[in-house]
Amino acid sequence: MSRSSSGRAQALQFTHIYLENWKNFLKVDTALQQRVFLVGPNASGKSNLLDVFRFLRDLVTVGGGFQEAVRRRGGVSAVRCLAARKHSHVTVRVSIGSRSNPAEWVYELQFSQVAKRPSVQRERIVRNGETLLDRPNSDDEADPERLTQTYLEQVNVNKDFRQVADFFASVRYLHVVPQLVREPERSVGKENDPYGGDLLEQIARTPERKCKTRLTQIQDALVVAVPQLKELELFRDERGTPHLRGRYVHWRPKGAWQYEDQLSDGTLRLFGLLWVVLDGHGPLLLEEPELSLHPEVVRHIPQMLGRVQRKTGRQLLMSTHSVDLLRDKGIGLDEVLLLKPGREGTAVFPASSLADVHALLAGGVGLDEIVIAETAPYQVEQLSFFGDRR
Amino acid sequence: MNPRVFVTGAVEGPVDEAVLRRLVSHVGSGVHRVHGKNGKAALLRSLNGYNYAAERSPWVVLVDLDNDPECPPEFRRKWLPQPARWMCFRVAVRAVEAWLLADREGIARFLRVSSALVPRDPESVPYPKRVLIELAARSRSSVIRQDLVPRPGSGREVGPAYTSRMTEFALYVWRPEVAEGSSESLRRALVCLRRLVASAEPVR
Repeated sequence: MSRSSSGRAQALQFTHIYLENWKNFLKVDTALQQRVFLVGPNASGKSNLLDVFRFLRDLVTVGGGFQEAVRRRGGVSAVRCLAARKHSHVTVRVSIGSRSNPAEWVYELQFSQVAKRPSVQRERIVRNGETLLDRPNSDDEADPERLTQTYLEQVNVNKDFRQVADFFASVRYLHVVPQLVREPERSVGKENDPYGGDLLEQIARTPERKCKTRLTQIQDALVVAVPQLKELELFRDERGTPHLRGRYVHWRPKGAWQYEDQLSDGTLRLFGLLWVVLDGHGPLLLEEPELSLHPEVVRHIPQMLGRVQRKTGRQLLMSTHSVDLLRDKGIGLDEVLLLKPGREGTAVFPASSLADVHALLAGGVGLDEIVIAETAPYQVEQLSFFGDRR
Repeated sequence: MNPRVFVTGAVEGPVDEAVLRRLVSHVGSGVHRVHGKNGKAALLRSLNGYNYAAERSPWVVLVDLDNDPECPPEFRRKWLPQPARWMCFRVAVRAVEAWLLADREGIARFLRVSSALVPRDPESVPYPKRVLIELAARSRSSVIRQDLVPRPGSGREVGPAYTSRMTEFALYVWRPEVAEGSSESLRRALVCLRRLVASAEPVR
């Protein structure tokens, strides 16, 4: 990460995404801002769009690789879009860069199923317009077995574009399931569990001073949302298992400590969110950060994230259904991506491309209203008739 | 001043809420809870309900005049012909942001600009929020520029952390006692608030 003359932290980020036949999407071709809000009806593919970035991460992480990344997703047939007819391949192409140089890198991977195995059809890496890799190459033609792996995942050949591999590896996904934080034994052996199973373990492994500073910072923010909470502490029990505890004030003069198994869903989720935005510098993927939180807390999340981002330069991509979150007037129209399912898969487009959006905003209509109306499911009122249907 | 009197507020949005909280604490009272925060139209739609409630307990409703052609007294008469006993319905000319601009030294220091750039008569500014953004764009601090000024392409009037920054200013930096010197609508609002707090009976 470097700093520009303006002082803005310049972390690498995904600046553009192009997809063909990826899960819900026949085709996606859209720019990505430093902060991205994905809005769409249920099952429109918000999580599947975030999954592209997790897929790229899986390509390059230990225990991952191309074959494993596809296998984890149920094979090529499960990844391929149901609406796909003509083409059997899946294409993922991302541009990576900073605001001043949005296409410093382009990484493209096209694959399909060949002889019952996922096979690379094309792998291309471009840096500042210069092609560093374009497969299949002569080596691949001589030995087609090579097409079962990407060059990106192989340390012995990726030296010239390792920055891309490192960037993909820095992607972080967190979707805290409070019950998993409360019962860490459910996730024993899982490293970096995206559902928060080893969240406390991860925190406990952070160098002591850094950990303490962050917990104090989080405590100061949490007490605003949870006014009875006075103090937050991480400690290890005699067996070495890390625990989170909070001191609450009530009628007892000294208050009482509550452990993670007693903390509320909202407290644990907000805690997880605040921890993860401070932890790391790569793109962060969040699923519905509003879950379990009071609307008045939710409406301040975008501003909180905006200020964190200004300091860290970190990219944040999140799905949301929250009117309270989208009400924030600082959210750019190009930061909101709308997902609209149709017969030809789900279409993805920025709110800035809606024809009447500027007129509506100028007249005082909120972005939340515009976006929710645009993405409301067709004939959603039918749900209310459910009890009287036979 | 009676410290045990708490007022209930209703405002258009989060920055207005911060202004309201600062004003109420300035007159020595506290805010019980704040309604609205969903725009001007919604606030005015609920005004009758707030007025009924103000028969029993002190209320402050704060609304921007914006570019309505009426003067504030006409505006108040139009929307609330019969204010309840403990209703303090105040109109900011043209918007609450003008009240913030009215503390010229304070806002200049906060935005890191020369105070000579801050308008002397904020009530005559048609779009005070735009003036705040224009000032922020000239800030010596890149942090202020990044937080307050919208990116090209964002299509919004304000930057990603405008609300949070202006809330911070209103709560911790802004001096109502200075600002009321160059904003008549703010001066009147403070008179009304003081009267409300003095006349209202304690909660218990």
